Amino acid sequence: MQTAVPTRMPDLARIAPRREERLFLILSIFIGVISGLLVVSFRTAIEWIRLLTLGPAPHQGQYRLVLAPAAAGLVVGVLVRWLFPAASGSGVNQTKAALYIYNGFISFRTVIGKFITSAIAIGAGHSLGPEDPSLQIGAGVASVIARRLELSRQSVRLFAPIGAAAGLAAAFNAPVSAILFVIEEVIGRWSAAVLGSVVLSAVSSVVVARWFWGSEPLFRIPPVILRDPRELTAYVVLGVCGGLFAIVFSKCLGYLRPRLREQSSWNRFLQPALAGIMVGAIGYFGFPQVMGPGYAVMDQAMRGQFVWKLLVCLALLKLLATTLCFSSGTPGGMFAPTLFIGAMLGAAVGTFEKHYFPLLTGTVGAYALAGMGVLFAAFLRAPLTSVFMVLEVSGNYSIVVPIILANTVAYLLARSLQPVPIFEVFTEQDGLDLPSMEEQREERVLHIEDALRPANVPIVSGDQTIEAVSALIALSSAPAFLVRLRGGLWYAMSREDLTASAVTMTGETSIERTLRSDRAPLLFPDLPLDTTLSYFPRWPLLPVLNRANRNNLEGVITLEDVLHRYQEF
Amino acid sequence: MDIFKLRSPLTPEERLIKRKLIVRDLIALVSLFSITIALAVLTYFLFNSFLHRRQAMAQTWLQEGESAMARGRPDAAADAFRSALEYGPAQRETEAKLATALAAAGRRQEAVSYFDSLHESEPGNGPINLELARLSATQHNHSQAIDYYQRALDGTWEGDGYTRRRLVRLELARYLINTGDYSLARNQLLTAAGNAPDNPDIKIEIAGLMAQAQDPSDALEIYRTIAKENPGRVDALEGAARASLDLGRFSLAQTYLEQATRHAAFASQPEPIRGQYRDMLAETTQLLNLYPGSDTRVGERAQRILHAATIAQARLNACVSAGKLNDPELADLTAKWQQIPPKLTPGNLALQPQVEQLIMDLVYSTAIETEQACGTPSGEDLLYLKIAKSPLAAGQQ
Repeated sequence: MQTAVPTRMPDLARIAPRREERLFLILSIFIGVISGLLVVSFRTAIEWIRLLTLGPAPHQGQYRLVLAPAAAGLVVGVLVRWLFPAASGSGVNQTKAALYIYNGFISFRTVIGKFITSAIAIGAGHSLGPEDPSLQIGAGVASVIARRLELSRQSVRLFAPIGAAAGLAAAFNAPVSAILFVIEEVIGRWSAAVLGSVVLSAVSSVVVARWFWGSEPLFRIPPVILRDPRELTAYVVLGVCGGLFAIVFSKCLGYLRPRLREQSSWNRFLQPALAGIMVGAIGYFGFPQVMGPGYAVMDQAMRGQFVWKLLVCLALLKLLATTLCFSSGTPGGMFAPTLFIGAMLGAAVGTFEKHYFPLLTGTVGAYALAGMGVLFAAFLRAPLTSVFMVLEVSGNYSIVVPIILANTVAYLLARSLQPVPIFEVFTEQDGLDLPSMEEQREERVLHIEDALRPANVPIVSGDQTIEAVSALIALSSAPAFLVRLRGGLWYAMSREDLTASAVTMTGETSIERTLRSDRAPLLFPDLPLDTTLSYFPRWPLLPVLNRANRNNLEGVITLEDVLHRYQEF
Repeated sequence: MDIFKLRSPLTPEERLIKRKLIVRDLIALVSLFSITIALAVLTYFLFNSFLHRRQAMAQTWLQEGESAMARGRPDAAADAFRSALEYGPAQRETEAKLATALAAAGRRQEAVSYFDSLHESEPGNGPINLELARLSATQHNHSQAIDYYQRALDGTWEGDGYTRRRLVRLELARYLINTGDYSLARNQLLTAAGNAPDNPDIKIEIAGLMAQAQDPSDALEIYRTIAKENPGRVDALEGAARASLDLGRFSLAQTYLEQATRHAAFASQPEPIRGQYRDMLAETTQLLNLYPGSDTRVGERAQRILHAATIAQARLNACVSAGKLNDPELADLTAKWQQIPPKLTPGNLALQPQVEQLIMDLVYSTAIETEQACGTPSGEDLLYLKIAKSPLAAGQQ
């Protein structure tokens, strides 16, 4: 794909140096507001389509449960094939690709296509969610606006995650989770350059969303009171179950998606319709709950309306339905199905516990919420987001300890059994080469202490004479030596510099008078090793000081030491 | 001055570009603002159209559910309430109706689960605790049912909490009566009576329950008060008569029965009920005619005692002949009867009050023992048995 970023005027940075900086914050608010409005419209469109296609109260045995998703699949297939080819998929990887490959370019057509095709598919009962498309719609809006204002390529690239955060924040009605998700999964690291704008756009979009939907959290459960620490065992069990379910879910998608993508173009065109028929069949034969995003069903599960066997059944069927829909290339997201499966699993564990261990006090709602977080952490591999997401969608901070425990167990289990996160699996299947956010997060950074060596070079005092220092250096084979100065300052001097000084000055002159005006940088063992590299052209070696007392040396470091350490790494 | 050096040394051409850039950015921002406004208006209409539709759907399904419940179709009602909740989530009243429908449809596990969930979110909610109490009662979980009833009584109620609590208390009392916990039922009823408003209907209901809870004494007090304060209430007279009969105060019962059957409102009652009270009056009159009360004339009293002795001995002999020859209690009674002087006349007996008392004690013992050995008697035997249960009260007013 060719990027459509316009050529910058060559002297724009000079003519209006602070233009982009000023526009950045204003546009962040506009992006947030427009994304929020679009997401509200998107969700409302889904609801309208659902009502018109599946009827006011879908229940088993209705033919429309099969016909509606099949017809929607056909329409979506046509639209994706001929009008909006970039609209298929969830939207998360597409946004990452826009950021890392296409310089932040997401076309307006993709935004429109994502809106229409996802609304049709999800509204007609395909087992997918609206959050990931909302994320891409937000990113697309940001990209379009940044390009219209002819901002620099770098700014256009930065706007994509800002819009993504806005879209996701509005979809979840949860600004913190959206910000964290964009940082965890899209940007990959905390970047001061965009953080302010991401926050601003996310908050703006949530304000808009709440203006329409109200400020009530998505799910409401009573406060969780852990009267007995043994109850945490049940959350550990939930973590294990969630971790295993996430692996099964990943494996299913990892297996089916590439096989369906290998099919002929006509076959692929029909796949959304076939997936719709299968999902519709699940609904027709007794489980209409798995159709669509399923937030109402999650709410019912939290209120303990289902018995545990039905909950397990719904979790398995949702996994199957989502695998079919997503693998078929139907536009729609993975977030809602992931939360659905997690909620069913959590509610099943909670209901089972309540039935067989009535003395434990945990509510079904609390387990369902924890289950959501568990699947989010284990399947989407966003552990930090998973915790905050659960807290935000419930508005209940009393559940934080069980959530952290269960999420950690699930995340570690899933990561050990399925090292490649699902979004990276999709990336590989799509033939893209995007950075791994999980690897970035866990990338080991070398520190100065990793290359540090003992201070085995001569150390002299600044008030010693050139003659005395020369005599001392003559006894050593070191190519350089350190000069200790007042105020905890140091200087690293080479033999050549000493010789040059001895030629121009008398032997009685103190060594301090021969030094140049600069001093050795203040380096400490815990600093990143790469910070030393910029100093070596100037200094033959670098003293590494003790933070408590800068007169004390922890050791020294040379360019050879640094390079050798990186070669070993 | 350094500050002057900061001024950008732009060429006239660059200044023109900068001005154009500023104008273009302003136009872009204004356009963006206009687009935002237009989008907001569109979103507002789209959202509101759905919101209204949603509210209408929620209302329709709620009504559908209520009418299904009224038609006695709780399954259909549960589906309708579920749909109502989908379009109007977090409506406590609808949630409670759904749970009630589930319970009525026999889907108890779902109902309990639902109510538990509601209870967790609102542990002090009166209606939820009441429904849980009912469910526990149907599941024969006695202690839990009482616990939930008690929480319902202590819980919060919307609207007329005072009335709702009284109704819950009476429901609890009924439940306790049905399970045979008369003592606990009496406690609840006494509290209910103490807190009851000055409403004869409510008091009569409480008195009726007291009678069922084997507390005819308190029931009688309430009926009497109502009958005194509300002369038009024939049901109070009837209730007082019933309570008097339960207490064995046949004379008092006769008074109330006579007043009731003479009451103007008595005629408006269904015939079976009227017949029932007339029978009660006739039987009470007959019983009092047999009863040798202290206010009976001496000769008459002696005659009644001798008649009672004849009936009792006949009953004893019949019982012994029916195969209870070896019953030690009956043998003992037979022996005692044999110690009674034979050929007593009313005149002789009237002069021997100790013998009168001895005979009547034997009559009552015989009635009670033969009932245990040979079953409930009929006719005059039954009347003597009734007197035997509280011989001193029979003549009390």
